[in-house]
Amino acid sequence: MADTARRAIHVLVVDDSSLVRLYYRAALDKAGFHVEQAINGIEAMEKVLSEPFDLVILDVNMPRMDGLTFIRSLRAGRGEVATVPALMISTEAGSQDVADARAAGANMYLIKPVAEDELVRHVGLLTGAIP
Amino acid sequence: MPALAAALRREGVPRVREAIMTALIRVGDAASIEAILPYLRSQDAALRTAAVEALCALRESLAPFMPQLLSDGDSDVRLLATELTRNMDAAQATTLLCDLIEREPHPNVCGAAIDVLAEVGTPEALPSLERCAARFSASPFLPFAISAAIARISGVKG
Repeated sequence: MADTARRAIHVLVVDDSSLVRLYYRAALDKAGFHVEQAINGIEAMEKVLSEPFDLVILDVNMPRMDGLTFIRSLRAGRGEVATVPALMISTEAGSQDVADARAAGANMYLIKPVAEDELVRHVGLLTGAIP
Repeated sequence: MPALAAALRREGVPRVREAIMTALIRVGDAASIEAILPYLRSQDAALRTAAVEALCALRESLAPFMPQLLSDGDSDVRLLATELTRNMDAAQATTLLCDLIEREPHPNVCGAAIDVLAEVGTPEALPSLERCAARFSASPFLPFAISAAIARISGVKG
């Protein structure tokens, strides 16, 4: 996919760690995606309700609103926003953690730390940038 | 205090749990902290988040518990404990987190500690950060995070 086409793909990165946000942003920006950021579920909800995103990448443990609560709230909503693909990336590595994320509405679950190429590949698959 | 701790143990409604935790924060003693600590191990992400936020609000009484929390056998607890140092005195947080990253085998725990150090760490953290980068040179995230943390600490305070 051409760089200009990838720039049209808007990805929201939600993580309370500024270094994680920086890492994801650097990798995805280099791969050609348009990236915006939020520091918790509340801020992410404000962003997805005010502008369209093609994918939300989010952590589980975050202050004010955790990632699972965010996805449940998103999926309970109406319209296109309720179906935005969600890629959860967390340090929580138990099978129950993965099951909880799936049950909440996550489309995919990766365990930290995630390599740049792995991140770009999964974002590409979930947004259709990689057929 | 035992009544609040018991109420928190049996309460299932998030908003009521939140209110009990607020009451424990108001008491603010060591017993309050001991009542909240078990929830760092909860399988419920919202409850873990509430426990971290309550413990952060008790930072003055929390200091004696930190060495044990940062040495906990469960890496998830050690990871959450790093967040509790964020509002502490910068020198104290730096000492605690440098001790941790010098011996911590789990890259995600180091990553969480480095995130806090990037925000509150003093230049005394730089040697520990460099040794941590060398230990985890093959990790996909830590070298990037440590490089960013060193730049921030050096730029702001160096």
